[in-house]
Amino acid sequence: MIHNTHFAQYIPPTLFHAVTGTFTWTAGQVAGEISLHRGAANQTSVITIPIIIPSNSVALQGAKLASIEVDYEILTGEPTSMTWILNKVTRGVEGAVAVVAAVTKSNTVGDAAAKTVAKHKQVITLTTPAWIDNDEYYLLELSMPTGAGGAVNEFLGAVANFTLKA
Amino acid sequence: MVHNIHFAQYIPPTAIHCVTGTWTNTAGSVSGTIAKHKAANAETSLITVPVEIPSNSVALQGARLDSIEIDYELTIADLTSLTAVINQVARGVEGAIAVVATPAFTQSPTAAASKTQAKHKLVLTITTPAWIDNDEYYLAQLSAVAPAGTVIDVLAAVANFTLKV
Repeated sequence: MIHNTHFAQYIPPTLFHAVTGTFTWTAGQVAGEISLHRGAANQTSVITIPIIIPSNSVALQGAKLASIEVDYEILTGEPTSMTWILNKVTRGVEGAVAVVAAVTKSNTVGDAAAKTVAKHKQVITLTTPAWIDNDEYYLLELSMPTGAGGAVNEFLGAVANFTLKA
Repeated sequence: MVHNIHFAQYIPPTAIHCVTGTWTNTAGSVSGTIAKHKAANAETSLITVPVEIPSNSVALQGARLDSIEIDYELTIADLTSLTAVINQVARGVEGAIAVVATPAFTQSPTAAASKTQAKHKLVLTITTPAWIDNDEYYLAQLSAVAPAGTVIDVLAAVANFTLKV
């Protein structure tokens, strides 16, 4: 039996889902890194990070999601705001829609500090860590209106921290 | 030792490989979800789901793939047809091509029912669940023959497997 509370899963920027804005794959600011690059534009972009950790159809087995860390850089121009929402998606059965529930969490970097021109490591911690059923998955969504300054951003990756039990 | 037959792995739409057609990342029809969206056009698109679960170089260890579920939505019009296939890709050694085999599977709903305008959860169950060697991987592929009007949104896939280590 495994019951290890220290597992983590790297989620590359190539799996991030970005809408509204001009996004391209670029090298990171540090040689050897990769990033999802957002060009400057006065738009509200939504970047969604799929949490690709295992799940299990048996209660209290598989993965218990504890937190998600997101590495990103704001290179020029502070966005107007950055709002993080963690959604639990319960998949629909054949013929039915999915059901989305927002999950209570906290952020280590406050809203004002998270949008400054800097290198950021935002940690989203679930208030109640959750065992993931095989009929559900988690999406971390960032909504980012940028205002007239436009903001240039680079998203480097994310890491999901979880307990693995099997 | 771990021998757990109830594992599953979520595969996001951003990991799904879509060719032929105009495909974009969009919000899903339910707020908070994400999708790979195909604009309406008469053409045949291939939607390939890479089954990202562990493998192992030792027989009967690692992951045994049991089934793959694909969540998608068809709107505006039915597809002309939707054909599923599972490909087992044995990677080539240096200088050699890969070899593709098509393991037998069953599906629910049926091919006829899976091409209608609706929210779909297509389950492909491998007839003989397979332990995955480190020199191979699996791809679940949908061939979607669309008339002029059909819009496709692919939301997610989930691979169900046994983990043994």
